[in-house]
Amino acid sequence: MINPVVSLKYMLAGYIAIFSILGIYLASLVVRWKNLQRDLQMLKDLQEKK
Amino acid sequence: MKPRRNSGYFKAILAIAWKDLAAELRSRELLSAMLVFALLVILIFNFALELDPGTRRIATPGILWTTFAFAGTLGLNRSMAIEKDRGCLDGLLLAPVDRSAIYFGKLLSNLVFMLIVETIVLPVYSVLYNLNLFVPGLIGIILLGSFGYVAVGTLLSSMAVQTRTRDVLLPILLFPVVIPVLVAAVKASAGFLEGIAFAEILPWLNILLVYDVVFTAIAFMVYEFVVEE
Amino acid sequence: MKAQPLVLKIMNVASGLLLAGSLAMVFLYAPLEAVMNHVQKIFYFHISNAWVGMLGFIVAAFAGIMFLVKKDLKWDIVEVAAVEISLVFFLIAIVTGSIWARPSWGTWWTWDARLTTAAILEMVYLAYMLLRQGIEDPDRRARFGAVYTLIGGISVPITFVSIRLWQTIHPAIIGTESASAQGGFAMAPAMLQTMFFCLFAFSVIFATLLWHRVRLGRLAQQVELQKLEAMQ
Repeated sequence: MINPVVSLKYMLAGYIAIFSILGIYLASLVVRWKNLQRDLQMLKDLQEKK
Repeated sequence: MKPRRNSGYFKAILAIAWKDLAAELRSRELLSAMLVFALLVILIFNFALELDPGTRRIATPGILWTTFAFAGTLGLNRSMAIEKDRGCLDGLLLAPVDRSAIYFGKLLSNLVFMLIVETIVLPVYSVLYNLNLFVPGLIGIILLGSFGYVAVGTLLSSMAVQTRTRDVLLPILLFPVVIPVLVAAVKASAGFLEGIAFAEILPWLNILLVYDVVFTAIAFMVYEFVVEE
Repeated sequence: MKAQPLVLKIMNVASGLLLAGSLAMVFLYAPLEAVMNHVQKIFYFHISNAWVGMLGFIVAAFAGIMFLVKKDLKWDIVEVAAVEISLVFFLIAIVTGSIWARPSWGTWWTWDARLTTAAILEMVYLAYMLLRQGIEDPDRRARFGAVYTLIGGISVPITFVSIRLWQTIHPAIIGTESASAQGGFAMAPAMLQTMFFCLFAFSVIFATLLWHRVRLGRLAQQVELQKLEAMQ
């Protein structure tokens, strides 16, 4: 039988890991999306200026 | 009447393989590089792992296959790079022959180079460590394992040579997907060297055979996608 | 870029709710395991994440084949999306597997077939990313990506089999060949229900994320086209 306190700590570590990695990934998706939108707008403006 | 296409196909494969082998016979630059490298790796292993005779026996298959894998990468890289740099690849692509003939031709020459290196490394290793490596089963495994390695390696090096990162990329692409060959070859080699019952070596042999057949077939089918302009 | 379709918006909400529901089931409904205690609760999400990784793996291989057959770049976008998602979720699975292993068997890494194969698959994915990065031409990039996905798709299952075979000769955790060493334990019905709910929830999450990532890929493709136009 694993010590309950130790077990709890590892469980928390596990869930923190899950949501951290997931969170970082979702954030990266949002950031990349915003960057691409901005790039697209910039390129379209450049095109119009020509 | 004998279909001309079939004989043309095999002739093309042999011609492509012979082109590489003949060139290498003259210059010997590829083989000497691979050979020196392989012997250096054995040397490094000698000092990196200080092994007593008993442990050395057990470690031998692993050391041999690691050496072959590294030297093999060198050979695959150089073989393709030479092709690209001399513009031979473009010339070959203009020829009215099925793309897969190029694959099999390169496969053949790459395999021959690898086998030549292995043929020299084995006796050297035997002498250095006073082990008899001339067991028929082991020779068979070396053939099967090298074939699988080169089958995938030729396909991947054809891709790698067309990227910016080139030489560096081949091992990165190759090693993760060639693990079944290494695992099975090492275990089967160990089996034959230790004289284990054939029935126990058989599963490893099966893995090698399946791998060789499956990947040669896949490479044959997709090679045209890799060399089209 | 077009706004999110209604179906996708609904999927977003559904994913969020299902995720919350999964957490609820894991912490409020599933019973505490007798031997491993709390840390066993990682198990539900560990398996679910590996499951998403598997889904991504299959979709990627399928998309690769479809691209080679149809030559339509749409499939390339799906392939990249699936690879990326599989990469992230197998990473979570490997990390949680490691965290679970430590208190259970005293070691961070067990060279067991599933964990090791997952790690090798991550290497294949990273190699895939590096391969694509080294190619400028979108068509060549797509072709090479598809070929490598196919190679990886066939080799990884064979790798799993060979490691599994290797393992039966070298048990990963010395002296323990019992079911618990392989990660098995008797599952109460409530545990099974929780497990299935989590699997379902994460399947929906996978589909939602895949769709989002494909949209990102399409936007990236638009930007690339716009760049080419601007250079003329």
